[in-house]
Amino acid sequence: METFAQSIVSGLLTGSLYAMIGVGLTVIFGVMRIINMAHGDMVMLGMYGAFLSVTFLKIDPFLSIIIWIPVAFFIGVFIYRFLLKNIVPAGELNTLLYTAGLSLFIANLVLLVGTGDYRTIKLKYAIMPLRPFGISVPIPLAIAFGMAILITVALYWFLVRTDTGRAIRATSQEPEAAALMGVNVDRTAIITFALGTALACAAGALLAPSLYLYPTVGEILVAKCFVIVVLGGLGSVPGAIAGGLLLGVVESLGAVYVSVPYKDGIGLVIFLLVLLFRPSGLFGIGKS
Amino acid sequence: MKKSIIPLAILLLLAAPRIVSAPFFIHLMIMVLMWTVLGASWNILGGFTGQVSFGHSTFLGAGAYTTMILFLKLGIAPWYGIPVGGLVAALIALPIGFICFRLRGPYFALSTLAVAEIIRLVALNWESLTNGPVGLLITTLPDVTFWGRSVDWENKVPFYYIIAVIALAAFAATYMMSRTRLGAYSLAIREDIDSAEAIGINTVQTRVTALSLSAFFAGVAGGFYAMYFHYIDPDAVFSIALSVEMVFIAVVGGLTTVAGPLIGAIVLVTFGETFRQIFLVGHLIFYGLMMMIVIRYLPDGIWGRLRLWFRTQLS
Repeated sequence: METFAQSIVSGLLTGSLYAMIGVGLTVIFGVMRIINMAHGDMVMLGMYGAFLSVTFLKIDPFLSIIIWIPVAFFIGVFIYRFLLKNIVPAGELNTLLYTAGLSLFIANLVLLVGTGDYRTIKLKYAIMPLRPFGISVPIPLAIAFGMAILITVALYWFLVRTDTGRAIRATSQEPEAAALMGVNVDRTAIITFALGTALACAAGALLAPSLYLYPTVGEILVAKCFVIVVLGGLGSVPGAIAGGLLLGVVESLGAVYVSVPYKDGIGLVIFLLVLLFRPSGLFGIGKS
Repeated sequence: MKKSIIPLAILLLLAAPRIVSAPFFIHLMIMVLMWTVLGASWNILGGFTGQVSFGHSTFLGAGAYTTMILFLKLGIAPWYGIPVGGLVAALIALPIGFICFRLRGPYFALSTLAVAEIIRLVALNWESLTNGPVGLLITTLPDVTFWGRSVDWENKVPFYYIIAVIALAAFAATYMMSRTRLGAYSLAIREDIDSAEAIGINTVQTRVTALSLSAFFAGVAGGFYAMYFHYIDPDAVFSIALSVEMVFIAVVGGLTTVAGPLIGAIVLVTFGETFRQIFLVGHLIFYGLMMMIVIRYLPDGIWGRLRLWFRTQLS
């Protein structure tokens, strides 16, 4: 029973960060119909951002997101405005290939500049895990969990309550109708892409103290992102949150009750099954 | 004019190691031709049927492991193992095709990525067959005499001729695709799958056949990879990066053309290998950059654009 509770808790902790990454990917997909293969690399950049803050600026990685969120937002604006904007009308497959190229470019640029060494961030206050009710909770993950919830709630509020948020949701539902109602679809697309990039980057910074970081980590993360958004239904924000938490729990339960080596495989098998039999996601709220 | 170019090109291909014999240059040419075969393999599916696969390393890996296991466990020489590897890859492609072709466009691409990752995990964990993460190693290749002379496996030239013959077969297969019913059906599917279905093309069968043919060549190239490098492990031959590189070579060179994969491989591999000699890491940076440039400015690929230019110049 204790193992079960332990794996649920660890699953939810990692899942909250998966959810954050997934939400970024899914809003981008919803508005622009882009499958962004470079999303995992934005997470990787966030992880390196946190690493740089700790090593050179002596800033706590969790505080560093105050710097990195705006930086990532502008990187997102730049990528969309100067690189992606002209590609998107050429169709989904061209965009897919283009972002795959972008992903390889970013990952190898980091590899070239920062070498491929595995790096870790060690925090002085996070050596011993917390032990509420006999369940071990690593401190970096617990902080990341709390911040991920805060950021996701803030994003949700933004999407539901603000005019820009409404414009994003409207464009996601029906771009033409949104344009007719006076929504500036082009501007909405830029904001959405930048927002998605900022979310990925922030999630990366929060994940950094709990994972090894290396330049091609995005490759693995991007596969996980797709699993998450397809589970929850492509284009759906609540779906991505649920999908992220679900994948976290499934992975940690799988590692305990099925097998450690096949832990990553379980998510992929579920991914294939959902794609084949429930293409609009487990909850039937996505766009197939 | 065109008719005289082809025998000339084949002659040049076969005479190349006699003209320049520096080991690095021969290694480079072997790499270019191996990637040409892989690009051509991807082109048969991706170029003709328009189905973007991000999981072709599955077939490369299947061919590589078949060749290796046949040699190490049953003593069957790699030159017999390579075609068997291709056939095994073609067989594996059948169930994968029937499952993944239920999906379209980007969803198909994502499903192939997932299948390839699952197969990589299986190869990593099925230790009794694949030796797991440790990988498989050939120490020496068996002796063989060819036209009365024993082949020197320490030299790279024999490997060059093996991959050159494989590459010629891949060119021939691509040419056949543009001439046969299978190719015509495939192009119809690429242009509009619903219309193709409506005029009575069995779209599932066509796509699975194209995938299987494509997988055959990826498997053969995989078998060659194992024989040339003497060593394979799951992360080397089943990695996502390999699948992505195949896509890039085919797209950058020019889809649905015979020479496209060769041009793509010459441009990308030459640069990549040279870059690797200097900086050791990050040689794929140029692949990413070229992909972005090609998609943005040369949607028909480098060869597709050059061919158009030649045609307008000559007429």
